[in-house]
Amino acid sequence: MADLGVMALLLGLALSAYSAIGVVIGEKIGMAALVVSARRALYMTTVTAIVASGALINAFVQNDFSIAYVADHSNTLMDRAFVWVAFYAGNEGSLLYILLALSVISAISVWFAPKRLARSMPWTIAILAIIQLFYFGVLTFFASPFELLDTVPLDGRGINPLLTHPGMFSHPPLLMGGLISITIPFAFVSGALIAGNYGDDWVDVARVSAIIGWGVLGTGMLLGAWWAYTILGWGGYWAWDPIENVALMPWLVMTAFLHSIMVQKRRGMFRLWNVALLNIAFVLAQLGMFINRGGPVVSVHSFAASTLGAIFLSFMLASLVFAFALFLWRMPQLKSDRAMESFVSREASFLINNFLFLAVMVVTLWGVLFPLFSDLARDVSVSVSAPYFDRVNGPVLLGIVVMMGIGPLLPWRKASARSMKQWFVWPTVVGMIAIGVLIALGVERPVAIFAFGVVAFVATAIGEEWWRGTVGRHRSGDNWALAWWRLVNGNRPRHGGYIVHISILMLALGIIGTNFYQQRTDGALALGESLVIDNYRIEYVDAHDSSRPDRIAQWAEMTIYRIDPDDYKQEISFAKAKGSLGFTLKDSRIRPNDEVIDTIEPWHGFYIDFNMASVRSGISSTVVEDLYVIPRDFLADGRVSLAVSINPLAWWLWASGPFFILGTMVALWPQAAVERRPARKRLIGESEGEI
Amino acid sequence: MAPRLSFAVIEQCALPANPITAILVALLLSVLFALSGCIRESDITLEQRAHQLAGELMCPICDGQTIDGSNAQIAIDMRLKVRDLLDEGSTNAEVKDYFVLRYGQDILAAPERSGFSLLAWIVPVFIVLGGVVIALLSIKSMRRSGLEAQSAGGTSTVVKQKQNDLSDYLAHVDRDLSVGSAIKSDESNKSGDAPSSEKAKS
Repeated sequence: MADLGVMALLLGLALSAYSAIGVVIGEKIGMAALVVSARRALYMTTVTAIVASGALINAFVQNDFSIAYVADHSNTLMDRAFVWVAFYAGNEGSLLYILLALSVISAISVWFAPKRLARSMPWTIAILAIIQLFYFGVLTFFASPFELLDTVPLDGRGINPLLTHPGMFSHPPLLMGGLISITIPFAFVSGALIAGNYGDDWVDVARVSAIIGWGVLGTGMLLGAWWAYTILGWGGYWAWDPIENVALMPWLVMTAFLHSIMVQKRRGMFRLWNVALLNIAFVLAQLGMFINRGGPVVSVHSFAASTLGAIFLSFMLASLVFAFALFLWRMPQLKSDRAMESFVSREASFLINNFLFLAVMVVTLWGVLFPLFSDLARDVSVSVSAPYFDRVNGPVLLGIVVMMGIGPLLPWRKASARSMKQWFVWPTVVGMIAIGVLIALGVERPVAIFAFGVVAFVATAIGEEWWRGTVGRHRSGDNWALAWWRLVNGNRPRHGGYIVHISILMLALGIIGTNFYQQRTDGALALGESLVIDNYRIEYVDAHDSSRPDRIAQWAEMTIYRIDPDDYKQEISFAKAKGSLGFTLKDSRIRPNDEVIDTIEPWHGFYIDFNMASVRSGISSTVVEDLYVIPRDFLADGRVSLAVSINPLAWWLWASGPFFILGTMVALWPQAAVERRPARKRLIGESEGEI
Repeated sequence: MAPRLSFAVIEQCALPANPITAILVALLLSVLFALSGCIRESDITLEQRAHQLAGELMCPICDGQTIDGSNAQIAIDMRLKVRDLLDEGSTNAEVKDYFVLRYGQDILAAPERSGFSLLAWIVPVFIVLGGVVIALLSIKSMRRSGLEAQSAGGTSTVVKQKQNDLSDYLAHVDRDLSVGSAIKSDESNKSGDAPSSEKAKS
């Protein structure tokens, strides 16, 4: 198996080199056959990447521990389902996975590339082939997953226990695939620029490929947050860790790109700006690869740590220089068709939204790099972690949400005062009412109240537009559902965008709720004892033990009661005097208003070989709030030590996921065949004219 | 920074009927508001303060985790120490100083707001404000170049052609929104678009 894998990688290396060189020479000397052959070579690299990946997966299935990577990341005890996870559990395998993803999407996008891009395709192929060449080279010379061991061990070391969770089947591949997929729009646009194709021919293909990568990356991050929340057992979902930040930064820039590309599509403006955004996103993705592979910053995500830092740093710098040089070279040709007409127009608001996204990105980059500056400038180490990023990015992210409400309501070109009044009255009124109601209800934290008001403002703005559009269509005869559906169908990019905006609002609700209103308490319970927090009582009912050869695993069975604080007046005032939120109860006497609402089974495992603890929290979730129980440890005296929190609105974080995916799909869905046919005819006409 | 900002705002105010100014000012104010807004230590219980502090102290032996999120023994001990110090009546700042003295600056999850580390906090403000100012200035310059082109002999034929193409799209938008009146009043100053609005109405 190892030989097959090595041979496939070598063949891929040769093919991608041939493809890159052949396509450039063929284009330069006008030899069409060579260009075609080079293009086919690019398809063949996909085959070699698939064969190499298949060889590695097969080695895992066969428990071939003569291969170092297999011995390091699996053992005979491992559930066979986790072979797919073990495939990318370490540095070498994840690089092979990235190459696999890159080569497959390269082949698909080259195959389906529109005909009108024929002139720039050779350069696009060259860029794709060079990036593949880099990965084939790294896998062949520096990080081969097929390295053999001198002595074959009887059993492997086993998979990292933190990865044995269903979320791991999709989170890492989506994240890595999403990051590398930024290559595709970058290659199309750079190819067009090199070929001197300055028109808007590349807009659709760049937009579609960018949305796919962006959606995949966003889904990957959300799944990662969900995984952290349910398994990592620290009660959070986003830590502003360097590795998280380097995935977030290109996603932010791509988000900006997806908005401003619509201005180019509709208005022929922002060409220069869109090219710049794509270049930045691509370079940031390379920065992400570098920091992932043994970069200079500490992170909790050290699954793929390696010594490849210097190689990836060089590749990142090379792509930076290439992108920048190409940009400067072609800058004079990238003119807008028309000028901005007003500050109060959709294109102006999109530009401001773009700058806010970039601001969050640059600030995050500044935070990631500041420890390095501090070390270099004055030899003092500092840490830059969540409290910093929450503080500096929170207000700007809120500003982006505000723009999310304003931008779409403004018409292109210029808004009149009258239409502004017509469109903004309701959202502003509802936002104000929301703030007023929250204050009247005695909700604390002014910043959060303001943020809720903003969410209400944006939600009303979207609702208003859907309402007016649907009412109009309803009047002309459609029933309500059909009217709304026709409205969405009539302009999918726009209304798909609104669905994504709704998912962002749901995410914002969860973020505001958990960041501003979380309540926490700690305690240790013996069997039969209870912990009370707010209006919950958590009773420790039973303990179980499910130890296996590789781990000591214990889980606690707990019953959750909703209580009436009046029944517990004495204890609550006593706890308050001590400065605590919660308290433990020795007796489990059920009081009059106690009501069983849920049973949870938090789990705590210790993996002997890895000297690593793993925790699965017990979560009792409702739309309003989650009761979140982390078993920190099972103590020697039989008690279990718990960290308990109430996470308001956490449910909305995960509910946003389906809407995010749905909105992305709607925005992406091709226009109906009837509308498309004449366009295609026109395209063919155009490309024939060019030839 | 201040003069540049006021310049942008004054420029905006000079333009008639420009509600986005108010929105932008509100946005900037809310940024400042949020940056300054935090709850007082006396408002919350000791336990809440202990958790808050635990989220602001790094675990010395873990990679990039706070003691709040870590189950390492040293993190458990540090959490207990935080609670002890608070019970003794220490302020948040005193608790942080206690740990900085023993573990160094990097025990803090966010850099201090003094000395060299103040840079970490100030630079983002400049980045954000600078970004917004650049955006406004570039819109302004894009507007000016448009006005110059118009006064220099009207729009070119290419642009005219494209504007005709756009009428289809605008008609589409009108149909989407079904608010012919609102949109029409917007676009009625553009003679080329009037027919499209009519179409949407019929």
